[in-house]
Amino acid sequence: MISIDKSAMSTNEIDLNNLSQEETALEIRNLDLKYGDKQALFDVSMKIPEKQVTAFIGPSGCGKSTLLRCINRMNDLVDNCHIGGEILLNGQNIYDKKVDVAALRRNVGMVFQRPNPFPKSIYENVVYGLRLQGVNNRRALDEAAERSLRGAAIWDEVKDRLHDNAFGLSGGQQQRLVIARAIAIEPEVLLLDEPTSALDPISTLTIEELITDLKSKYTVVIVTHNMQQAARVSDQTAFMYMGELVEYADTNTIFTTPKTRKTEDYITGRYG
Amino acid sequence: MGKWFKSGSPWIWMTGGAVSISLIAVLGLLLMIAWRGLSYFWPAEIYQWELNDQDGQQYTLIGEIYDSEEVPTERLVAAGHQFDQAPGDTVKRYLIKTGNREFVGLDFRWILATDIISRSKPDDIAVIERSKNGDFYGYPVAVIENGQRLELKDVESSLMSHIERAVELNDEAVKLQKSEIGSINYALEKLRLKERGYELDNKLTDARKLELETARSTLQADYLVLEKQFFALREEAGRDSVIIKDMRGLEVTLKLDSILDVTYANRMGLLSKVGHWFVGMGRFISDDPREANTEGGVFPAIFGTVFMVMLMAVIVTPFGVIAAIYLHEYAKKGPVTKMIRIAVINLAGVPSIVYGVFGLGFFVYMFGGTLDQLFYPEALPAPTFGSPGVIWSALTLAILTLPVVIVSTEEGLSRIPSAVRQGSLALGATKAETLWRIVIPMASPAIMTGLILAVARAAGEVAPLMLVGVVKLAPTLPIDMNFPFVHLERKFMHLGFHIYDVGFQSPNVEAARPLVYATSFLLVSVIVSLNLTAIGVRNHLREKYRSLEH
Repeated sequence: MISIDKSAMSTNEIDLNNLSQEETALEIRNLDLKYGDKQALFDVSMKIPEKQVTAFIGPSGCGKSTLLRCINRMNDLVDNCHIGGEILLNGQNIYDKKVDVAALRRNVGMVFQRPNPFPKSIYENVVYGLRLQGVNNRRALDEAAERSLRGAAIWDEVKDRLHDNAFGLSGGQQQRLVIARAIAIEPEVLLLDEPTSALDPISTLTIEELITDLKSKYTVVIVTHNMQQAARVSDQTAFMYMGELVEYADTNTIFTTPKTRKTEDYITGRYG
Repeated sequence: MGKWFKSGSPWIWMTGGAVSISLIAVLGLLLMIAWRGLSYFWPAEIYQWELNDQDGQQYTLIGEIYDSEEVPTERLVAAGHQFDQAPGDTVKRYLIKTGNREFVGLDFRWILATDIISRSKPDDIAVIERSKNGDFYGYPVAVIENGQRLELKDVESSLMSHIERAVELNDEAVKLQKSEIGSINYALEKLRLKERGYELDNKLTDARKLELETARSTLQADYLVLEKQFFALREEAGRDSVIIKDMRGLEVTLKLDSILDVTYANRMGLLSKVGHWFVGMGRFISDDPREANTEGGVFPAIFGTVFMVMLMAVIVTPFGVIAAIYLHEYAKKGPVTKMIRIAVINLAGVPSIVYGVFGLGFFVYMFGGTLDQLFYPEALPAPTFGSPGVIWSALTLAILTLPVVIVSTEEGLSRIPSAVRQGSLALGATKAETLWRIVIPMASPAIMTGLILAVARAAGEVAPLMLVGVVKLAPTLPIDMNFPFVHLERKFMHLGFHIYDVGFQSPNVEAARPLVYATSFLLVSVIVSLNLTAIGVRNHLREKYRSLEH
């Protein structure tokens, strides 16, 4: 079953093995990761295409979230975490000593599993990243707030209470607010770590629609437990198992004609 | 029974009982202090007794009942007391405050109920509150105005109007002395120090000498004018006097300038008693102490306590918070950090007098002494900062309360969900920015909790302060109208020390006892209100950052 395009659903099929420099947003090369003595990632290599949605799926503990958190160096916060290999963003290794981690994170935004708004007003949440960069011009902030909140499809719900505390929002609204906060600083890449696992089905649906919209501007990488979700929103899917990248292909291929037995077992629900 | 035991009810009763007993104990204590302290200001009824003494002589006593107790007859007989007819097993005796200290020697005395022939409550007895020698009880007979005896029918109203005048003049004189004459003295002292400073630097040229001399003579001239005014006021105030018949039946002349207030306590209705009570409390809170602290108010002590505690809070909060942030956020987790943390917690257990000794040695002598040599050489050998003062007290209490602030701040920092920190870091914030913008604001309720505990501990602490700054009587407050307005090197008065001083160091224990209760009540109120303010701020902050709840 060697990658044969046979699905009418796939509209923007890309040959992942032969991505050109321009088409690649991120390139992961031989990434190893150890928490102390325990190795969590084994020699992961992949290219993530630009302005597409790439999903990481796999059973719990397979390393998909760990891999995601390597992309904006959130694993730096973990004591005893050792990383080998490279991740290239725009041709530069983000694990290079010269890289400014804060600048990297401005370029690679992240949304977490549970909504984590700051204890501030909705408005201040959205402009937080801009204020960090020293933007204090009222008009610029207002514009950015509106643009981001519209971008995260929450503007209509909050425009009349921008200065209320963000904790007054529902879980789904909080998660979209957090997405707005991430896109307010206009990153290139947006990492979503199981963004809907704490939400109800209707909020999940809203977020999924939003993810599809976001890829027109951002490269989106999403970790999900939910295979249906991966199938619905992503263009590429990577299946990981026990810290290894088992299979990485366009979503249709993975879900219709997986190459390996492990992938097939997982997506047909035999374990996971 | 076994079933009842199993149901858990005994456990509930036990725990509930423990809470109730604690509450009752605290409330009982507060009520007792409040009752004994606050009733002091209530105008007591003044009685006149006719009594038999041991030799069968009859005599008169005027005063108020202070206390009463039952004494076994045997004990009185053993003490040499003889009774005409045998009383019961016990005899009641009363403690009477008779006032008139300079005439009768003892202003408190015990009388036996069996000695009393009659007791009356004449309307014409007045209580005269004086700035010296305590209260005076007697019948006002006449007013002397300008050496002229005014024979009036209505002595009361004439007396009142004359006293009002004298009190006004006296107040004016005191104000003049405190503010204007005080600031001239202060300026003269500054000039002296300036001259000495030039002298030490060998810069005392003739031109400078002349300059200083002119300044000094201007001040001296001003001083003479003010002094003249002051004496004129005092003389005016002392113009009139009042003649009072005391309990010996003798007429005594009292000058009006030493009288603060006259009340006809037995004539007062409920309403005027209430009014008098409020006025008395107000004066207690706002006046300076008199007569070796046994009379007058406690304003300087209230001011000193609050000022010192606030100064301490201002010092301890940043230090404690910064130390806690380092320990919790930056220090590597390991045995050394653990040991430091244990050491910090143990610091809270060191007896406070040890901190006092440390403060005296380190802050006052070493630190203050060095400051004096560097910046105030002209005042030496008299110390400026090198002697106990309010700043050293605040610093000593700050290190005493530092562990409390550190521990509760750390607790607050560890309660902040890591998701929020990561959210900030993921937006490109550095660790410092995250701390400053997210973590510390969210930890502020915990910081306030630490501050509340620190204030509660510091406001009640007396022992170390006796070494590093508290005095029995401070002539000036740490804040006044003389440049630079805040004088941190000055000694100060403190309510806690005041209680000790009035209660146990005063020459007149009976007279001082109600003051001890009143001062205790005031100290408790001050601490409670400081705490309530801090708790209010904390609740406001909690409301603002209530995300911690999930």
